[in-house]
Formats: sequence, structure tokens, C-alpha cells
Amino acid sequence: MAATTEDEGTPAAGGVPEKNQLQDELRREREMRLRALADFDNFRKRIERERADAAQTGRRDIVLKLLDLADNFDRAFEHAGEAPASWVEGLQSIRRKLLGLLESQGVTPFESLGDPFNPERHEAIGTVDSNEYEPGSVAEELQRGYRWGDSLLRPARVRVAR
Amino acid sequence: MGQTTRKHSARTRSEARRDSGPQFAPIRSMAKAIGIDLGTTNSVVAVMEGGQPTVIINSEGSRLTPSVVGFTKTGERLVGQLAKRQAVLNAENTIYSVKRFIGRRYSEVQAEVKNVPYKVVPGSNDAVRFIIQGKEYSPEEISAQILRKLAEDATKYLGEKVTDAVITVPAYFNDAQRQATKDAGRIAGLNVLRIINEPTAASLAYGLDKKKNETIMVFDLGGGTFDVSILDVGDGVFEVRSTSGDTHLGGDDFDKRLVDYVAEEFQREQGIDLRKDRQALQRLSEASEKAKIELSSVLETTISLPFITADSNGPKHLEMKITRAKFEQLTADLVERCVGPVKQALADAKIKESDIEELILVGGATRMPAVQLLVRRLTGGKEPNQSVNPDEVVAVGAAIQAGVLAGEVKGVLLLDVTPLSLGLETLGGVMTKLIERNTTIPARKSETFSTAEDNQTAVDVKVLQGERELARDNRTLGNFRLEGIRPAPRGVPQVEVTFDIDANGILTVTAKDKDTGKEQKITISGSTQLSKEDIDRMVKDAEAHAAEDRRKREEVEARNSADSMAYQVERQLRELGPNVPANEKARAEQLIGEIRDAIKSPSPDIARLRQMTSDLQQIAYGLTSAPRTRAAGGGGNGGQGEGGSSGSQEDIIDAEFREAS
Repeated sequence: MAATTEDEGTPAAGGVPEKNQLQDELRREREMRLRALADFDNFRKRIERERADAAQTGRRDIVLKLLDLADNFDRAFEHAGEAPASWVEGLQSIRRKLLGLLESQGVTPFESLGDPFNPERHEAIGTVDSNEYEPGSVAEELQRGYRWGDSLLRPARVRVAR
Repeated sequence: MGQTTRKHSARTRSEARRDSGPQFAPIRSMAKAIGIDLGTTNSVVAVMEGGQPTVIINSEGSRLTPSVVGFTKTGERLVGQLAKRQAVLNAENTIYSVKRFIGRRYSEVQAEVKNVPYKVVPGSNDAVRFIIQGKEYSPEEISAQILRKLAEDATKYLGEKVTDAVITVPAYFNDAQRQATKDAGRIAGLNVLRIINEPTAASLAYGLDKKKNETIMVFDLGGGTFDVSILDVGDGVFEVRSTSGDTHLGGDDFDKRLVDYVAEEFQREQGIDLRKDRQALQRLSEASEKAKIELSSVLETTISLPFITADSNGPKHLEMKITRAKFEQLTADLVERCVGPVKQALADAKIKESDIEELILVGGATRMPAVQLLVRRLTGGKEPNQSVNPDEVVAVGAAIQAGVLAGEVKGVLLLDVTPLSLGLETLGGVMTKLIERNTTIPARKSETFSTAEDNQTAVDVKVLQGERELARDNRTLGNFRLEGIRPAPRGVPQVEVTFDIDANGILTVTAKDKDTGKEQKITISGSTQLSKEDIDRMVKDAEAHAAEDRRKREEVEARNSADSMAYQVERQLRELGPNVPANEKARAEQLIGEIRDAIKSPSPDIARLRQMTSDLQQIAYGLTSAPRTRAAGGGGNGGQGEGGSSGSQEDIIDAEFREAS
């Protein structure tokens, strides 16, 4: 099996053919120059768009890790039951601070329970029988979903009613 | 003065170099051609832009698109990440790893069929068909869905229509598989310019097609498959000599080992098997994958999963330290499984390991130190090519090929750069850079300079190359003198210096007196290359001395500013004469005296010098706000400002020349 990346055609030799060849070359050069300019222009436009998101992109990693933290808080509260009330309160306060920090960056949680399953926002990890919820809707939320501005930052991890 | 010819180099950084000469296809429409790595688990798309390959970001914001297609109950077709998110709900109608089926006969893929939850049946002529929601689909149609999404995302990302593509396939694909892949492209509405081999694409990404005659080994350890290929390249033509591999060996297997180990440890301690709980398993899998990646750069990491599960006694947490050594121990047999195929490939190509001249690593799993060690071992210590992201290198190569075939790139993609910074010597013996290293050429930069002394009538331009702050630590490429400057106070004449490098790397430095119009220049050409070693050494040198250089430069700048400020205020005082209040004058003169003394000293207290300069500047402002009888002009043209630092001018007077003694 061979893959070739060779050129076609042969060079001309003097006279009219040579003039044609030069004109061809000139045409190609012009075309390539325009392409390069066009590429540059498009690139520049894209950079402008990306620059607007740049600050966001840079913080994305840290924000995702903060979400991880927020998740663990959520889990902790699921088991808060037997813990002393004052202690739970303290933790609630810390959790509120964390969510406040996220919000100040434009990161907001969204609700999923009861919503019809939507892969644009939800990630299904299983199904479950449910009396409360319609089949095909989110019956359990295992990990909260978050938005960053208008776009999805992390889908909610859910179980869907059978 | 006048012309001098000296050597200066431009280093070539070329992607897909061809011999210049007659072209390929005639110039086509402005449609962009993309390169697609259509992978078993994930796909990547790249494109040439301005002569450089760029990986395209999909509509979900990722550089990787899962090769998954899902058909929902509501009749929607989901591709990529979205399809993955609902896979669990809809396993029978979500197709993944379709690459294992494309172009194959049903009787050949019995083993694969057993592994997947979706329905695979034989069609006519033993073709493979999927049954989805009662309808039949061919693998081509499924792959077409993926390709269509990739093309759409590319169109959106680039802002222009994408219709042409180069698609890669494994080197061992037979004609039927290649044709089927091409058909998939056609069904997706793409004009498939060519189907090329994945190892060939990887080689293109490293510019290996420009090599005279070489034997290349491509070691591709992806998420789920392992492929070794031995290629020969000669005059731009690639030939596959042998291929081998393991269709079920990849990074995912390494993850699974870690998951199993952690789950078993946990079970031993806590009596609960996390793998039975889907959510816990999901968290554990993600954490294990992260840990595996971390262990490629650190020697140990911790998998930490609070509230991973619970029993009657309450919640349970998982906190386990994993060392690289342990991970390698757990996965040693997987790494060993790479040995067989490599040896087989060498044997089939009838070569020895020492015959391998180039080694390329493809696939994220090749980042693991154990894998790298093994590869080195198997190729007699060969240093692999891995500067291009191993997850993206195939797509990059495909994009390069696409660019060439679409006629965009006239064969050669040559982007030269200046390997080291260029500039000239300015007051205080520092180097003022005009063109930064790694600037793409041709390039041109101008800046305006002035004289260092009153009535200086000539300037010496010393052209320097290098990264150090002080002129004497850099290489002098040439120098010349511009004369005939009209006598004027220092800082007044405007000499425009232009550095101009043409496409061939020839540097012309011109100095022009804006007042008299007089001009001098020097041409420095580069036929001797600076070797890579030299360049690297100079750069490293600069880095090593960076702090020290910076300090020296700051010292020079502090001196220059102080001196300049002293000079200016002195002139102000002279011009204003009796209009200056006596105490102001006394204070100013005192500061000036102190500054002059400080400057004379070989190592002045910089902080103090700066403070004095700033104090003097305050006085200078104070003096200008006082009413005056006439604006002080002084010798030169263009009324250089007094009472402000030269930085406040629009005309950036960057630094000053001293006439060489």
C-alpha cells in the first residue's frame, strides 16, 4: 500500500509555453496570497471571539474542581441526619459561601428533578422505578448540573424514571 | 558605513515539504479541506489555516468528539457527547465502536457482536447491518452521521463551508473497509479527497515525508486499540511494510486495572464492592482515569472520594494513595502485551530494531512512562517524536494532506522564523530588541532613536543578535555609522532605524535622519545556518542569566532616566532663568548634583536613584506649570518636549545612541 503526495505536470521550455507557465504561477501566487490574507482575517476574527471567552477558559479547570467540592458538600448533607445541628449549620454556611463564589463567577446550578430527560443537560447513569415521576423524566439527581453564563458547564448526572 | 555582508540565519520550520516545482490540482474554490481522524472511540478534526494545522473545537467545546451515534425514542439522532449521555438509557439504539464493523463481513465480526448491546445482523452478501428501532442501517450510514457532525462543527468553527476532507484509516484496513469509509464520507455530503493511513498521517505531521529514505515505526496506543506500523518513506512516498497490533488493548484497560485494584482494597477494608453501585463505579472510574494521567507526571497521587457509599453504620469514604510504582505493577502485563506485536511487525518487515530511523508515538496512552520506557527498549533506545499532541497527531497529518490536495498549500509549507532576537546597542550598553525571536518572516520593524549627547552629529548602529540584555553578551552581526546630523541638544534628533528581513532571511538595517533625510544601511545575509545546538544554547544561556541580566538592565535604565532627567531640568533652569523661585532652584540643583554623583559610581543604589529621579520629575512639573515668557525650543526640529520624560511623546524615542569613541 502506498500513499503518494507527488506533483503532477512537467515544466515547459522557453517561449510562449514559458510565458503561460509564468502566468499560471502568477495566478497561483495571487490566489495563495489572498488565501493567506483571508485565513489571517478569519483567524483574527476567531481570536477576538475566543479572547472574549479566554478568561473563562483559563478558569475552567479551577471551576470544575470547585464543582467537585460542591458535590462533596451535597453528599455530606445527604448524611447529615445524625450530626449535631450546630455543626450542620456551620457546614451549610460554608457551602453557601462556595455557591456564592461560583455564582460570582457566573456559574449557577440548575434543577433537573422532574424534567424530561435531555442529553443537552443531563447525563444518564441508570434508570429507576418511580411513583413520583413520569417515565422518561429525571427521577434522581446524583450530581448537580451547572451552567456558566449561557452555556452548559457540566451536565447533571441523573437516574431516569422507567 | 555603507554595505557590509555578514552571515545571519533564518531557521526553517516546515511542515509538509515538497520539492518546489509544478503544482497539483488546479486552484479550486475557496472551500476549506479538513483532515479527519475517524477513531474507534473518539474522532478529531483539524484544518490548515494560514499554513498551520489547527484542531477544530466542536459544538460542545471539545477537541475530541466521541464516535457514538444514538437514535432516541422521539426520532432524534444524537452524535458525540450527547449520544454518550443517553447511552445507558438507550443501549440498543446507541451505536459505538462502529469502526470495528465498517467494511467487514458479518461472519468476520462474530466476536465483536457479542461485546455490544446493540443488535447486529447479517445483511445481503454477509454485510453487517444494525437494527435500530426496527430499521436497518449500515456501518457506513452510522459513520456518516459522525462525519456529518464533524463537518458541521468545522463549518461553524471556521465560519466557512466545509466540503472536502481527507479521512484516515488504519494501515491494515483492506479495500472493502477503505471503500466503505469513503462511502460514509460521501453519504455525509463530503468530497473525500483521499483515504490515507493513520501511520502515514502521523508521519506527515512530523514532516517526515521530506526525508530522503527512512524507515519509520508508528506506535499507536489509543483508548481501545493498539497498532504498530512500519513504514518506508522516500521522496514523499510512503509505503507500509508491515502492521501488527492488538484490537483490544488500550488506555481503557489501564484504567480498569486501577478501578479493580481500588475497589478490591475497599472491599477488603469495608466489605462493600463499589463496582456494584453504578454511581460509585462512575465516580471511581473517573477518579482512576484522572489518577492514571497524573501518575504520568508525578510519582504518587491520591484517589479521594468522600461519601462514596454508605451502610448501616453510616457513610463511607475512600481515600487511597497510589504510587506510580504500584500502578505500573498492576499494569505491567498490559505493557508487555505491546512487545509481541512490535516484534512481529519488525519480523514481517524483515528488519532489526536498529533499522528503525524514526519513531512516532500516537495515542494518549503513550504518555505513560512505562510505555515510553518499553518503546525505547524495543527500538534500541530511539528517541521518539512526540512533540505533537499524541491524541491529535493523526488529524493534524490528515489536515496537512488535505491542505496539499486542495491546492491551498503549494506543496511546500515553509514558514521561516528568526531563531534569535535582533536589535541594536543603545545607551548604557544594553540591547534594544527590534525583532523578537521566532518572529515569522518576512518582517519589518521601525523605531525612532536619538542622540545621547548634545551636538552629537553621528550615530553608530551596532546590529546585534541574541537574547541577553547587555549588548556585549550578544553576537554583533555588523555595524555602521550615520553622519551629518545637525547639531542639537541630545534627545532631539530623530533617527528612524528599520530592521527588514525578507523571505530569504536577508536582513537590511537602515538608519535615517528624519531631519536631513540622510540614510545609511547595512545588509546582512544568512547562508550559514545557526545550528539548533547553538540556538538552544544561547536561549538557555539567556534564561540562566535572566535575573542577573534584568538587574543590570534596570540599573542601566535607572542611570539613563536619572541622567536624562537631570539634563532636562538643568536646561529648564537655564531657560527659565530668573523665573524660577530660589528655593526650587536650589533643591533642583542639589538633586541634580546628587544624581550626577550617584551615576559616576560604578554600582549606585538603584532604589535611591529612582527616588531622586522621581523627586526631580516632580520639580520639573512644578516648573512647567509656572508661567513662562516663551516656549523653549532649543536646536533641533519638532520641538522635543521639555519638562516631561521623553516617553510622553507620541514619537516614541526609545533610547539614545552614543557616538562611538
